[in-house]
Amino acid sequence: MIVAEDLVKEFKVHRRRPGLIGSLGTLFSREHDIVRAVSGVSFRILPGVRAAYIGANGAGKSTTVKMLTGVMNPTSGRCTVAGLEPYRDRRRTAANIGVVFGQRSQLWWDLPVADSFRILRRIHDIPDPVYRRNMALYQELLDLDALGTTPVRQLSLGQRMRAEVAASLLHDPAAVFLDEPTVGLDLVLKEAVRELVNRVNAQLGTTVMLTSHDIGDITSICDQVLVVNHGAVVHQGTVHELLRAADTRAVVFEYQDGPDPHQAIALIEARLPGVTARQSECRRIIVDYPTGRLSARQVMAFLLEHFDLTDCVAPEPDLETVLRRIYTRRAEPREVPV
Amino acid sequence: MTTPTALRRYAPFASASLQSMLQYRSTLLIGAVTATTAVGLQVFLWRAVYAGRSDGLPGGYDLPELTTYVLLAQLLALSQANRVDEEVAGEVQRGDIATSLLRPVNYPLARFAAGLPVSLVNATLVGLPVLLLYAFLLPLAAPTWTGLLLFLPSAALSLVIGFGVNLLVGLAGFVTTNIWGVRIVKDSVVAFFAGQVVPIALMPGPLAAVAHVMPFQGLVDGPLRLLLGHYTGPAQAAGILIVQAAWAAALAAAAALAWRKAVRRVEVLGG
Repeated sequence: MIVAEDLVKEFKVHRRRPGLIGSLGTLFSREHDIVRAVSGVSFRILPGVRAAYIGANGAGKSTTVKMLTGVMNPTSGRCTVAGLEPYRDRRRTAANIGVVFGQRSQLWWDLPVADSFRILRRIHDIPDPVYRRNMALYQELLDLDALGTTPVRQLSLGQRMRAEVAASLLHDPAAVFLDEPTVGLDLVLKEAVRELVNRVNAQLGTTVMLTSHDIGDITSICDQVLVVNHGAVVHQGTVHELLRAADTRAVVFEYQDGPDPHQAIALIEARLPGVTARQSECRRIIVDYPTGRLSARQVMAFLLEHFDLTDCVAPEPDLETVLRRIYTRRAEPREVPV
Repeated sequence: MTTPTALRRYAPFASASLQSMLQYRSTLLIGAVTATTAVGLQVFLWRAVYAGRSDGLPGGYDLPELTTYVLLAQLLALSQANRVDEEVAGEVQRGDIATSLLRPVNYPLARFAAGLPVSLVNATLVGLPVLLLYAFLLPLAAPTWTGLLLFLPSAALSLVIGFGVNLLVGLAGFVTTNIWGVRIVKDSVVAFFAGQVVPIALMPGPLAAVAHVMPFQGLVDGPLRLLLGHYTGPAQAAGILIVQAAWAAALAAAAALAWRKAVRRVEVLGG
């Protein structure tokens, strides 16, 4: 459904020097730097898949989405959405896809939400039954009627965002691109938006491509994860596969009697190769161990043998930690602050 | 592009723009006050100039005709102020062009559809009352039926020309980001060569010659010459309309071409 092949986007950025003198200088010189926002991204998202496209700020996510939606031309490489090259066939692609750019509105700023929907209905030539079915769904999940006749410019971010998500799905698009769709929503509305996306995906087989910094969005909507870093895809697979890719796991324990925490930490680090331990509270210690060299059983056995445990947990590797490791891998190859 | 289905896709842009416009009543009111003052300034200035003259009719316009010309020139210009230039450039500058590109329509046509109500509202809700007010205060030249009949298509063509010029200026936003300067230059050049400030017939020979080869004379001077019967015969009247139509087509083609070039340069950073 969504295919990217060696997609590259470079921007020319005029070089500006800092300060007033520098600004004056830029009046006379027109030097520019070339910034590579996306460098050779390739991936394939099958129809009906809900994929999360994630990466740190500046990883080139939005730029990629803009090429996939036909807003920008790639510098090189190509991509197709539902068989069309979006930037070459913009209008036909636009009829096939729905898009939410979290920071921009596709609604008519001076009109009530209901009017924007009526306009979109005519622009997309949406058949009556489809329009009625979708409006009923949005009413059920998002309570759109509550937005009344307030012009969009006067809505709160949360009110506007749910209308944006609904608007992007109104014409039953084959694929929907959601760029930060739950920004500014409270917990209940976040749930509602996720439910809407999941329901549309289940009923109509809509392909979903989501970019978000909200881990909740990713885990509750997506069955696939694409991680981009420094402009290239570094991981594609299921959420579980990504979690299993964690190269360190942790065991947290609390103990009584025995050595003081400093000695305990020294003991653990000396006897278990590659392990780092740190104190979280007075007698509560977090042990990070490399999954390649030790198993959870070995670590637990060691702890049971040397400490009088009062509590012990082995938390699941959370997506956030895994992602943080991936994001910082190249910038800071050794230690990862947690 | 001419099938009813296609038209159905552009009509909503017009109704949305009309609805948005009617939301800002005070803007309309201020527009009316501004137009009344601007028209008054021009009209009374010209009447003062004429009052001191005793020799013939400059450019062939007598006083009521010139009053009508100057008055309608301002109102035509008001109708052609469709804001397309600032809106297109604004979208480019803010990056909102991204969402406009997500609609399954031709952007220039959608812009034209959105610009039409602005022209019509300005013409009817602001222009017409101002016209009636001055018609009550001053002697105007009563138009002939022929004049009116020729004026209407000519005024319609002037809207297309005005749209083409404004869209091209707006698209300059892809090159310069901020088109404030371009707009200032455009406003004065267009106003002058359209014959909005001085009827082209009153310009010195070389300047008039320049004005006649520019597209802008089709904005004001052309329609008003047709209305006031300032042409030598049917051939010249038809000529005015044909030249207007040719410029309208040329500008529409230029705008379409410029758009196709511009859309490849879209660089929306962030968000």
